[in-house]
Amino acid sequence: MVSEIKKKTLSFQDTIFNLQKYWSKKGCVILQPYDLEVGAGTFHPATTLRSLGPKPWKTAYVQPSRRPTDGRYGDNPNRLQHYYQFQVLIKPSPKEIKKMYLNSLSSIGINHDEHDIRFVEDDWESPTLGAAGLGWEVWCDGMEVTQFTYFQQMAGVECKPVSVEITYGLERLCMFIQNKKSVFDLIWNDEGITYKDVFHQSEKEFSAYNFEYANTDNLFKTFEMLEEETKLLVEKKISLPAYDQCLKCSHVFNILDARGVISVAQRAEYIARIRELTKSIGKVWIESQG
Amino acid sequence: MSELFVELFSEEIPARLQINARNELKKNIKNFFVDNQIKFNENFKVYSTPNRLVLHIDKIPNEIKLKSEEIKGPNVNAPEKALEGFIRSNNTILEKIFTKNTEKGEFYFFKKESRKIKVSDLLEKNLSEILANIAWNKSMKWANYDLYWGRPLKSILAIFNKKPLNFVFNHISSSNKTFIDKSLEEGVKIFNDFNSYLKFFKQKGIIIDQYLRKKIIQNKINEIILKKNLKIEQNDRLIDEIVNIVEKPVVIVCDFDNNFLNIPSEILITTMQNHQKYLPTFDKKNNLTNNFFVVSDIKDTKGFVKLGNERVIEARLSDAEFFWEKNKTQNLVKQVDKLKNINYFKGLGSYFDKIQRMRKLSSLISDDFLISKDKIEIASSICKVDLMSDLVGEFPELQGIVGGHFAKFQGFDKEVCLAVSEQYLPNGMESKLPKKMYSVALSLSDKIDSLVGFFGINLKPTSSKDPYAIRRMAISLVRLIVENEIKIKLRDLIVYTCSVYREQGYEFDTKKIQNELSDFIIERLKNYLKEKKVRQDLIESSTFLLGLDDLLKAYKKSICLNKNIKKEIGFETIAAYKRSSNILNTEEKMSIESLGFADTGLFKNDYEKKLYKKINDIRKYFLSVGKDENYEESLKILSSIKNELNDFFDNVIVNDEDIIIKKNRLELLNMLCKTFDNYFNFSKIET
Repeated sequence: MVSEIKKKTLSFQDTIFNLQKYWSKKGCVILQPYDLEVGAGTFHPATTLRSLGPKPWKTAYVQPSRRPTDGRYGDNPNRLQHYYQFQVLIKPSPKEIKKMYLNSLSSIGINHDEHDIRFVEDDWESPTLGAAGLGWEVWCDGMEVTQFTYFQQMAGVECKPVSVEITYGLERLCMFIQNKKSVFDLIWNDEGITYKDVFHQSEKEFSAYNFEYANTDNLFKTFEMLEEETKLLVEKKISLPAYDQCLKCSHVFNILDARGVISVAQRAEYIARIRELTKSIGKVWIESQG
Repeated sequence: MSELFVELFSEEIPARLQINARNELKKNIKNFFVDNQIKFNENFKVYSTPNRLVLHIDKIPNEIKLKSEEIKGPNVNAPEKALEGFIRSNNTILEKIFTKNTEKGEFYFFKKESRKIKVSDLLEKNLSEILANIAWNKSMKWANYDLYWGRPLKSILAIFNKKPLNFVFNHISSSNKTFIDKSLEEGVKIFNDFNSYLKFFKQKGIIIDQYLRKKIIQNKINEIILKKNLKIEQNDRLIDEIVNIVEKPVVIVCDFDNNFLNIPSEILITTMQNHQKYLPTFDKKNNLTNNFFVVSDIKDTKGFVKLGNERVIEARLSDAEFFWEKNKTQNLVKQVDKLKNINYFKGLGSYFDKIQRMRKLSSLISDDFLISKDKIEIASSICKVDLMSDLVGEFPELQGIVGGHFAKFQGFDKEVCLAVSEQYLPNGMESKLPKKMYSVALSLSDKIDSLVGFFGINLKPTSSKDPYAIRRMAISLVRLIVENEIKIKLRDLIVYTCSVYREQGYEFDTKKIQNELSDFIIERLKNYLKEKKVRQDLIESSTFLLGLDDLLKAYKKSICLNKNIKKEIGFETIAAYKRSSNILNTEEKMSIESLGFADTGLFKNDYEKKLYKKINDIRKYFLSVGKDENYEESLKILSSIKNELNDFFDNVIVNDEDIIIKKNRLELLNMLCKTFDNYFNFSKIET
């Protein structure tokens, strides 16, 4: 193995601070995580809804992301049912966005002169959001550390102007920076707290909930209620509360999926139902933008 | 003579799109030169790196001369306005207009003098359209612009005869500058010719020419494997992709922990090739080694690239190892019941339903194949269990293969393991073909079950759409049968499959499926033969009135005839048939009712008798069991009629005055054709 140059290890929380500071200087509104369970940073209304319509917008935020099916009871060094994304959304996409992105990597100690940074084709699609985009996954010495996407469509509507979305997988990125083989060994701060200290119990318990204990009968009912509520709010033309209900629908669906009670055929149907909700909300939102 | 040099600088364009864009640009620019009758070096090239699409053409004249020509205007009787318009549009004056008589009357004319046009002017006028006409397989918009391109286009450099061409393409104005640093899009530099551009980047290690990049990568790899006594698999698709995702190729040898070699090698290879674009290596005995190649886009001065890639493969392989260790011990038989929860296809039940059907089908097939019924039923029962494993979840492309490894680990019979492993093969025209009878039986039953099912619920492919790849499934079925020379009653098997579906409560229209599927499979056989470069008329004649049970016969005959058609035995056979049938065809108009045989008592000479005897000898040959399957021998026998037939035609007049004798002679020729038709429908063959 090659001996590495010793330098102070950037902690998990410092990585976040650096990215926030960097994007703040680039004029982004630094937001806090959305206070609902979502599957990815893209679901935050600051991305989904704000990427629609003509108004310029720049934002950056951390978003905890829940992927119930990816839970491994804290036993797998690479998989979590709850992890963090750092999300940047800029509309319209700036001309120098690649330079901005590469410099953001420098701000967390990854210098593009020393590493093999590669933009690998990865076109993105979210069936539940009715969204699609073209872009790349960014590889750093073979490891995927970022998703880089130009939105072409959101909530079934063509994006005009086009937004660019940059999503850093914070755990992966930090594992790379800190040279760790297990996510649980990540250094959280300079006081010796690790990722394991913060999240291991939660991984274990939520895996049990998602795979074993979640009450599926209730969740099926909850889904129906939430769907109905969303539709009602769409009729009342209040897009943001409607979107909240829709996000909850999506999460309930994810838990049901993890519990293994949704068949392949049903799956497609549920996804289509959520997409219809998102589309109707998108329409109301665009109208509200004048 | 001058050169045209254009560089389109953009963010990273994916490999497939680059190749598509290169071809499109090449085609469009070539059309431009041809249409405008401008000479150019037809061996020109279009190059690309992920960020640069580069066009270079030399030997272009600076000017082209347009010959003087007479331009026809309006008829002299047309309203005055038309003449005014004609004068205006040609930028001339009334004095230069003259009249001339044509076939259609008297018209105004204008003589355009010969003149010279600068090629640079033409290029400036047309380049924007040439670029706009690039048909991307996939393209996108960005920011506020309306332009569609593979990825955001940043600048256009355009040079002709060492001077910049100025034009505007959507929001971008061309210039003689480009960015040196593709990453930060910085360091603007002026270039006035292609060679200095190429040289400049070469000094920085950047190879614009993809052919050269490929050579550099391959040479480096060959150098290393020679030294290390290793081999790599020929994989053009992967190499071509790698070539087009780097501009500054640096080959790095990496390795992973030897212990991972205990995982089935397919998993390791898939991880390296498909997921990470690495090149795995093999030793001289074709065993996978723990060395692999990474093609980096940067010099690894600090060793970060090697270290990083080794860590990535390590993490991925530990994941795979974890799943392998977990899944391999999960009892396959005990999991079969769980397949009830997995939908095979809407309207065709669960995977549990499917394997029940496959078990019955393969069991029936086992009788024909003379293989163990027990073994093939076991293989059918466990073959889909791997779909529920974590490993197939991670590596869907390894379905079947992974199942085969589980079976092997759990001590199943060797032939059962192989059958599970090869159940999805062949997958189309090019893919590997299973040879062992258990594998063939399992693959056949899988494919027949699917084909009958999809036709049963009316999801046949249309001429343009085939979302479930049913065509490929049928071609694979054809290959299984003909390439393994399998004799099987496909028609019965289809009927049986319908009845198995019926037992499960699926009511299909058996007659309809039988007919449609028959046509469909025979159509695939024709395509298959076409791919094998068999002459179209031979395909038509060998598949004419073909029954589904005779796929193998038709295949063998057409291949045999295709091989021999230009040789004596093929040529003579067809000549004999055609000569006879031509006479019959002209006589048929007289509506002779054929008896099907000639009356020996009516023969007037030995030539008739000898021909008759020969025909009967040939008939006897075809009647003897199995003889008709040695196709080359059969063809030889048919062609041997040549002497008797020639003697007959040389000495006997078919068109005898006596109508009864004439009829008898026609019957004799008819017998000959009928005999030949046993072998082949010769009438379809063009000579």
